Amino acid sequence: MQSTSTAEAEILENDRRWYLLQKRRDELEIEQAFSIFRANGIEPVLIKGWAAGLSYPDDEPRQFTDIDLTVSASDYERARLILLLGELSGVNIDLHNEFRLLDTLSWDDLFANSRLVKLEGTEIRVLRPEDHLRILCVHWLTDGGANKDRLRDIYYAVANRPSDFDWDRCLDVVGPNRRRWVLYVIGLAGKYFNLPLDDLPFADEAGRIPKWVIKRVEKEWRDPVHLLPLLSFVHDRKQFFRQLRKRVPPNPIRATVEMEGNLDGNMRFYYQVGCFAKRLPAFFRGAAAYVRSRFKR
Amino acid sequence: MQNPQFPTARKTGLVVQEMPDELLVYDTENNKAHCLNRTAAFVFKSCDGGKSAADIASLYSLESGNKMSEDMVWLAIDQLNENDLLEQQVKSLFAGQSRRDVIKKIGFASIVALPVIASLVAPRNALAVASCQCTAPVDCISGSPSYPVPPCPTGTACLSNTCVTP
Repeated sequence: MQSTSTAEAEILENDRRWYLLQKRRDELEIEQAFSIFRANGIEPVLIKGWAAGLSYPDDEPRQFTDIDLTVSASDYERARLILLLGELSGVNIDLHNEFRLLDTLSWDDLFANSRLVKLEGTEIRVLRPEDHLRILCVHWLTDGGANKDRLRDIYYAVANRPSDFDWDRCLDVVGPNRRRWVLYVIGLAGKYFNLPLDDLPFADEAGRIPKWVIKRVEKEWRDPVHLLPLLSFVHDRKQFFRQLRKRVPPNPIRATVEMEGNLDGNMRFYYQVGCFAKRLPAFFRGAAAYVRSRFKR
Repeated sequence: MQNPQFPTARKTGLVVQEMPDELLVYDTENNKAHCLNRTAAFVFKSCDGGKSAADIASLYSLESGNKMSEDMVWLAIDQLNENDLLEQQVKSLFAGQSRRDVIKKIGFASIVALPVIASLVAPRNALAVASCQCTAPVDCISGSPSYPVPPCPTGTACLSNTCVTP
């Protein structure tokens, strides 16, 4: 058993070193991305990933596979062009056109309240903690609650929030439906990761997570099939149909959020229908573009 | 043309993370990660194209107060060579000799730890997280028709947008 413990310790040490290196590499890429965009007169805002990791303890690295950068609508096409021209070749950037579904506050408001965080020699623009927590919660729901581990983002964003964290800014700047979305995600972090909620002003409300939401997230966590872009599997019929089955009907949590709905009500079916109808045109457009791009190759 | 007796450590394509007792190096060109122990790290950082192995050994002795043999430096240089961490390939001083023979020659009695460059293996869940293969920049731009392209073939993993064998 000693040799097993030693082997396990070695594996853990290997993993720790690996993640430290990956973190450094990712940070260099973030610096590079900001540098290139700024050189082209574009000021991005970094969300999720590294920004979420700011709340994490030092000994618990927050992994991420891409860099989520949000730019203003007026800069979006130029930013896309920069990426298409390969100026950030090798850097996996997920470019967002403002915040769209993720928030209802205006870009100007969110940008004006953003802050700069030092990363080595570069200042990285991130949202203020209240706005980022809200967006993290909504994003978690747009994934249909499928990613249990990402509740850690919520956990640490709340547990390690700054002393001047303004809950009114976090919760009361959006409508009542969205407010409850955020509260329920915080409640889920409390339920599954023991996030202490008692001292929070909305503890009772956050604890009243609809039963169907709990049932659904637990179902998602048991499902070995994760939602991935459908067109990624056109060459694999088995995976393609698995992904298709996962989409029909649409995840009710995701559907509720996409339809700006109420998680407490009984409108899930209608949200799902609405969400399905809303996504169909985009699906056909994407499929047509994919076919065109494949023929070009 | 670089004098191979004055090795130069690579700078481009490497991500370096200093730790208290070791140096972690990620090679973005071949997606390999290495852990250099203190001795190997010292030699790596001293390989600036202007120092010979003897110079590096003297520098170590000066800075640490402990003696490092030139052979020890060459052992480190050999490993840097093997792991493609030098700007140019350097002819091994120990050509034809096994690593065991070299170490015997250097001796275990030295206070200075033998230089070691260990390869790091990508953790399993790191492989699971990376599921995007981009063969062209456009493939990894969200919103583009092919984002992201199919995941990597079985037995390979996606790192820095290419499929590599872990």
